[in-house]
Amino acid sequence: MSSVRFVFPKPRLAELLAMPGGLPVAEAVERAQANLESIKPTCTAELLALLELCEAGYATLRDGFDDAALEGIYAIAVKGIGAGEVCGAPSVDVALTSFCDLLDHLRTLRRFDRAAVGVHVQAWRLLMSPGAPQAGAEQMLEGLLKVRARYAAEAAAAASDAA
Amino acid sequence: MALDASSRARFNLEKASILLLDDTPMGMSILVQIVTGLGAKQLHRCTSIEMAQEVAQTHEIDLAVVDALAPSGQGYDFVQWLRRETQEPNCYAPVLITTAHTPTGDIVRARDAGGHFIIKKPLAPIVLLERIIWVARASRPFLFSGTYVGPDRRFRDDGPPDGVGRRREDLAKAEAEAKAQAEREAEPQAEAPPERSTG
Repeated sequence: MSSVRFVFPKPRLAELLAMPGGLPVAEAVERAQANLESIKPTCTAELLALLELCEAGYATLRDGFDDAALEGIYAIAVKGIGAGEVCGAPSVDVALTSFCDLLDHLRTLRRFDRAAVGVHVQAWRLLMSPGAPQAGAEQMLEGLLKVRARYAAEAAAAASDAA
Repeated sequence: MALDASSRARFNLEKASILLLDDTPMGMSILVQIVTGLGAKQLHRCTSIEMAQEVAQTHEIDLAVVDALAPSGQGYDFVQWLRRETQEPNCYAPVLITTAHTPTGDIVRARDAGGHFIIKKPLAPIVLLERIIWVARASRPFLFSGTYVGPDRRFRDDGPPDGVGRRREDLAKAEAEAKAQAEREAEPQAEAPPERSTG
């Protein structure tokens, strides 16, 4: 049995938002999009640098489950999520989310699947290629999601058993 | 309700003091470009928990956009610290948590951190703006319990599950209702209010 206390704060943000001046929603969103466009080259370079790190990490993976190694690759992949959209390659964000899910599942299950990890790394490279056809990207993402799904249900069952 | 990206409605973020926490240059850069585009001018850019704590202790914060900082998830710890350890008004500051990916083991941690919203990356300017406006206007009550401090996470109050109370207040309410019911049942029929005469 626990007791609770409620407080009703009045955040200043509501008053500030309503102050005279400011921007119309449409203009603000346009400006933000234009700002993001201005960092596209830097973002692309940083995303490619992360991809190279990931490829190097993948190349050094040994057979058998190695939690620290998978965690290292996860730490690289997760940093790339969100950049794909800015770089004009939104499929990369989807692929990296699938990759992070897969790595999380493998770590939960204490398993290793070189092919499943490898296909995600290769997909990341292909989706970063300039001029990659959209139809091909969609097929590739479908494939990645299937690979991820192979472990998802099992990991969910393992997590609920552990809870 | 979704915010219309072509709306001419105005809002003003110029005077809002905004704490941004993201430990990657790319993540911080994306966030800064979005919030400056939305008109924010007073930004506290923090690339570590320590910097964010320093800012939260020395400046009044109107809004915090905090990355979960995967894989460590230290962003959640920062939000929990903000709720429990800082003075008013910062302990009540609206907090939007951004996350690239939430590992299964961090889902409960994310839920219990005390943020107003969790936003999945990639961040879209319209979504961030929609959440900022919502969080400012909704003014959700804050809940202090043994294990959770933060905005009330319930968007609907259906009462305790299956009518079974979990909290001291629920029990007291149930006891009072039971007592009142017992008293009503014990009342003699003669004490029922007389019927009004229509004559």
